[in-house]
Amino acid sequence: MKIKEGFLLRTVAGSNIVVPIGEGSIDFSGVITLNEVGAFLWKILEQPADKAALLEKLTAEYDVDANTASQDIDAFLAKLREANLLDD
Amino acid sequence: MKKLKVADINVLIRYTHPTLVKQAEAYLSDFDKEDIVIDIPESTLERLQQENPHLSVDDVEYIFTGAAFYENILNYNGFLLHSSGVCVNGWAYLFSADSGTGKSTHTGLWQKYLGEDTAKIINDDKPAIRIVDGKNYVYGTPWSGKTDMNLNMRMPLGGIVFLERSTENFIHPITTQEAIPKLFQQTLRPHEASQMNKLLDVLDKVLSETPIYRLGCDMSREAVELSFNTIRRDK
Repeated sequence: MKIKEGFLLRTVAGSNIVVPIGEGSIDFSGVITLNEVGAFLWKILEQPADKAALLEKLTAEYDVDANTASQDIDAFLAKLREANLLDD
Repeated sequence: MKKLKVADINVLIRYTHPTLVKQAEAYLSDFDKEDIVIDIPESTLERLQQENPHLSVDDVEYIFTGAAFYENILNYNGFLLHSSGVCVNGWAYLFSADSGTGKSTHTGLWQKYLGEDTAKIINDDKPAIRIVDGKNYVYGTPWSGKTDMNLNMRMPLGGIVFLERSTENFIHPITTQEAIPKLFQQTLRPHEASQMNKLLDVLDKVLSETPIYRLGCDMSREAVELSFNTIRRDK
């Protein structure tokens, strides 16, 4: 899976935000704000990645057990799907 | 073509209709080299008018030249905030909200209670914010919405306030995370990545250095005292 084309992740005054550009701005006109972990996962998902890869990178970067990390990833992916931001 | 200096940008522009002629008068200037050109031929204005039958050609000229200016200002470290801007003692404060909420009403009340010589409206609807020499400034422009309230001047940006109507008056600072979606609702959103990056560069600096508030207010003197005493930078 991968984040759809047409979104830009940037840090603005300390906040991680995602804004639609080009094609992305046709269907989605809001702004998404991400916490640190959300931005970390988003960046990985700008290239195709599966859940195992996300889990591996998240546990390598943060001091978090695999179980909690897995739940966090599931919750984040569910939000992305709900907002129709993922290409599966 | 006429020459205007707007927000310290040299604008070579074509216009002939009465609203912009009047609004632009205070911005007439002279220069050898223009920074931007706004040239919408009369035939295009007429076509745009037919596409927007509720508008006159005069309205169309005023609106579309303004849109062209505010698209270009991104290239000069600037952006538009849909807001009513009021200056007091050397600082500009911007009150932003959807049309019809009462932002002009609130800045009008600042004039009423602080005095029109003290509180001046720099632009009642679409002030420009620009970073010049590392500082955040608010500029008046000829494009000030339905009113002619604008001044050809610049002032340091003292604060941005997102205003809503409320029967109880309150004001509190908001985080950049809360402020960013609100700012995006009240500016022109670029669709191209390069232009979006320019807007985000400007917002990064402006939001890092400017207090941002949420204000709920009625039309009382207390509402003015609360907002002025909370956001003022002149003491």
